[in-house]
Amino acid sequence: MEKKQSGAEHRLNSPESWVDQYGDFLYHFAVSRVKDPSLAEDLVQETFLAALGARKNFQGRSAVRTWLIAILKHKIVDSIRKRVRESTSDRVESIADAAAGDSADVEFTGKGGWRIRPARWAANPLETYRQKEFMDVLYRCLGQLPQRLAKAFLLREIDGLSTEEICKELNISATNSWVMLYRARMWLRQCLEKRWVKPEE
Amino acid sequence: MSHWMFSCKEVSRKVSESMDRQLPAHQRMLMNLHLMMCKYCRRFKDQLLIMHRALNSEDLPPGDADACPHLSGQACERMKQALKDELAKGNK
Repeated sequence: MEKKQSGAEHRLNSPESWVDQYGDFLYHFAVSRVKDPSLAEDLVQETFLAALGARKNFQGRSAVRTWLIAILKHKIVDSIRKRVRESTSDRVESIADAAAGDSADVEFTGKGGWRIRPARWAANPLETYRQKEFMDVLYRCLGQLPQRLAKAFLLREIDGLSTEEICKELNISATNSWVMLYRARMWLRQCLEKRWVKPEE
Repeated sequence: MSHWMFSCKEVSRKVSESMDRQLPAHQRMLMNLHLMMCKYCRRFKDQLLIMHRALNSEDLPPGDADACPHLSGQACERMKQALKDELAKGNK
């Protein structure tokens, strides 16, 4: 084993210092996603505790802050998922139903052309003044993504795990993982297009 | 599937797959050929990339510095205590 006392490793040895160093940043991030300050506080605390438990597995592949934010993002999506499940709006159910089938089959004609062509999005939804609304919708959609797909998708997109690692984690084949990631992306894109491009108000 | 041309459906799969692994050269070529000719699939690809970037972003929402929310001193203390308790449990 390579022994290299990096700054990151050093910081890992004093979890309490995380609160001073990253607390405000994580809190700000959480508040911006979940709106509720006391819920945001809980999520930050849960993040620190989860990080403490997983500290040995942190291989210094990323900065400590990035690592903590990734954990926080999982917590945020989980909390939105819980809230979504508690509410029983028809819209949510209709989206969940659509996801039960292969959304790709719905999106394409028998000949493999787009049945509903991808709509034009605002030039760049990540532009400062559009970003907040886009991110809100994106996280809400993530909270509604079917659980199994969400798991694979978040491991890939938020934790940056390779396909091999995801297969091991979820005990699935490589082909299966590509299919799941594909479905997750199709589903999310559809959700964004429904909620963000043409909000149903 | 005709072997010299991908349909939009096939391209959508390949675009997604190419975000998770290196595609075999001939598949990559067929995908790019289709993308060159089909603006809807290009749109689709751009949208997947936007989703990817958005999820990886660590940016805080813009706002004036005064409105930037901080953890209260109380909350900080509570979290440190929780971490201490958890550490103590682990060391037992």
